[in-house]
Amino acid sequence: MIPQLVTVRHRRTNGRWLRLYIPVLPVLLVLSPVLLLAMVVGLIACLATRVSPVGALRGTGRLLGALPGTRIEIEQGRMAVLVSVR
Amino acid sequence: MNEQRRQILQMLAEGKITADEAERLIDALDRELPEPAPGAAPRPKSRPKYLRVVVSSADNFGGDGPGRVNVRVPLQLLRAGVRLASLIPPQALTQVNTELNKSGVPIDLTQLKPQHIEELIEQLDDITVDVDQPDAKVQVFCE
Repeated sequence: MIPQLVTVRHRRTNGRWLRLYIPVLPVLLVLSPVLLLAMVVGLIACLATRVSPVGALRGTGRLLGALPGTRIEIEQGRMAVLVSVR
Repeated sequence: MNEQRRQILQMLAEGKITADEAERLIDALDRELPEPAPGAAPRPKSRPKYLRVVVSSADNFGGDGPGRVNVRVPLQLLRAGVRLASLIPPQALTQVNTELNKSGVPIDLTQLKPQHIEELIEQLDDITVDVDQPDAKVQVFCE
């Protein structure tokens, strides 16, 4: 299952929070032409480096599928960055 | 078969209860979580799903105040990363080895097989690292 929602929260030094909720699937759909181009470039790179394209695609898929549940919180004084993948 | 289950089956055989009642009783027994008998093997603990890294620092870097880092990474992500890393061609690994040697890190990455790293990740479950300093604390554990 690919990630569905990425939440980014940023607390600035003035104490105000900036919250970004990124729905992954709609963003992927919007960026699909770019992704297609990236896949073609990736395919060429795989062939050039003699890496199995199928294996690379499967590995990337597994990596994406394993992302949900990741949470990164960094706080320094009044500033903070929180990234959560669901 | 435990004693309660045997009694239920006996009552069913004697016609004291119907098959439906016996089924319900057995289901109810299954739902119960009996305490393990003393001397019996302990129930296997649930497998951890995440690797946690928690860093707390009392240092006041740049006058901003204390810092805190809390990272939770699914263990599945480590496995996926290892599998992806196994696709690196041997020529590239040789180059990486050479550069590592130059940097004073004599690690032969060609000897690292995916199954070995898989075993390593399996054993991460039991690892807990605690580093305590007066002004900082680092914890690495699985949950």
